[in-house]
Amino acid sequence: MKIFLSILFLLLNIGIKEDCEKLLINIFGNNVKTEFLKYDIAPELKNKIEQECRQRFIRNYVYVWKIYDNNKHIATAFLDDVYGKSLPITFLVIFDLNGKILDTEIIKYRESYGNAVQEKNWLNQFKGKDASSKFKTGDDISSISGATISANSVSAGIKKLSKLYSYIKDEL
Amino acid sequence: MKNTFAVIYSLLFILISSVIYSQTNNYKFESSIHAYGELHFNQEKAANKPIKQILDFHRFVTFIGFTWDDNWSFHSEVELEHNYVEDDAGELEIEQAYINYHYRDWMGFQFGVVLPSVGLINEIHEPPTFFGVERPDYNTRIIPTTWFGNGMAVYGRINSFDYKLTIMEGLNSDKFSESNAIRDGRRKGFKSDAKNPLYNLRVDYLGFMNLKIGGSFTYNKAYGDTSSNKIYLYELHARYQSNTIDAAFEYGVINYEKYNLQRSEGFYVDLGYNISELLNWQTKVIPFVRFSDYNTAAKTRTGGDSEKRNHFTYWMAGISIKPLDNIVFKFDYGIRTRELGNEKVKLLNIGMGYMF
Repeated sequence: MKIFLSILFLLLNIGIKEDCEKLLINIFGNNVKTEFLKYDIAPELKNKIEQECRQRFIRNYVYVWKIYDNNKHIATAFLDDVYGKSLPITFLVIFDLNGKILDTEIIKYRESYGNAVQEKNWLNQFKGKDASSKFKTGDDISSISGATISANSVSAGIKKLSKLYSYIKDEL
Repeated sequence: MKNTFAVIYSLLFILISSVIYSQTNNYKFESSIHAYGELHFNQEKAANKPIKQILDFHRFVTFIGFTWDDNWSFHSEVELEHNYVEDDAGELEIEQAYINYHYRDWMGFQFGVVLPSVGLINEIHEPPTFFGVERPDYNTRIIPTTWFGNGMAVYGRINSFDYKLTIMEGLNSDKFSESNAIRDGRRKGFKSDAKNPLYNLRVDYLGFMNLKIGGSFTYNKAYGDTSSNKIYLYELHARYQSNTIDAAFEYGVINYEKYNLQRSEGFYVDLGYNISELLNWQTKVIPFVRFSDYNTAAKTRTGGDSEKRNHFTYWMAGISIKPLDNIVFKFDYGIRTRELGNEKVKLLNIGMGYMF
């Protein structure tokens, strides 16, 4: 029992930030370096993006990782949340320097259903999209049986980050 | 068996207490309100009978939730049916009210009023999510949606397999019948029997793009004041949703240990096609057809008319119109045939539904 509890304790000490950084290393390799920062979204920009995407930001900021390979900035990752049916879904979107999505990952899903948005084959649809894409389920993004709300919500959330990246990339 | 609930609660309490070292908390306290509702016009026309026409605000439902942190949350669903409650008219029910502990993707727990995971509709039953104004007859007659009760559940997702194990109040075997199968045996959380828990395990595979496929098994040694009866419910379900095609299939069978009723059985198939893309419309317009076949008395010891009286086939064609994903206007028309006497009823339904 003690061994079992010790293993559980170790597992629980892995946090969201650590999960993201581990994922970035998995994707880009051990040689990359990351720079973590919190980006406050200006109120006017926040309103503009919310209207364009018909979804509100939960917070006034997003977490950002700049990814460097041999001191050269190669990609940027944003961490944000959207609401599923009633609980937040935490997700990471990685952009290349042109704003095209390189990868997307659900970092934490908290509800007991609708979790098919975590399926990699669904998330892979976002690869290559950018701020000009529609991100609309049932159109350029497939719907998911039994996960309608989560799929709509995550799609709009990724669209928001794509827009945000396109507006702030020069500041980063 | 008597102490099943006590033992499971104790083990889970110890487990959860031991792991409240908590992860990086990402959230402040948050409450949430969601809802769904549906207004229906129902018309029934049978030979030699007057036409029945009903306008019914069938369901008004609110979900209230609260999030304490990344792991702990509360969910509830309160439902008012038929707009009004008095004696046998209308119903006011707490269909969900549970504390959720989300440990990791592969394991979470629920304690309170929970939903067993049986079929496509029992857990996800908001009007924009299914075809037809009313829920499929299969999900009323064979799977008794909305089926809820006091108990607990363990759920999770391992690779592409999603599972949920529910242990909850048992059924009342006195109320099983050839015309309604197990439906009237639901105790709905009212001072329910804790001696004979119902066990339900559902596993879905989510690894195919656009497709959810799975099945469940439910067992209960049901008790009533004057009877006891074991039931075994097996069901399979699949739903395929692409940008244009929306198809569903469910099949279920209930086997009974004793008494005259031995088996209830049924299935339905839905096929819909979203034509809005062809017409370049923003509003989703999805015509569909459904075929159902169900028999709450599929096999009885005495045989005879009951097996035919309770056997129905139902052809339906209809349309769902969604100006937004969470708002739907529906229309359907169909013919339901009872095997005994080849009695036909023509049904026409018009409805509006929403969720947010």
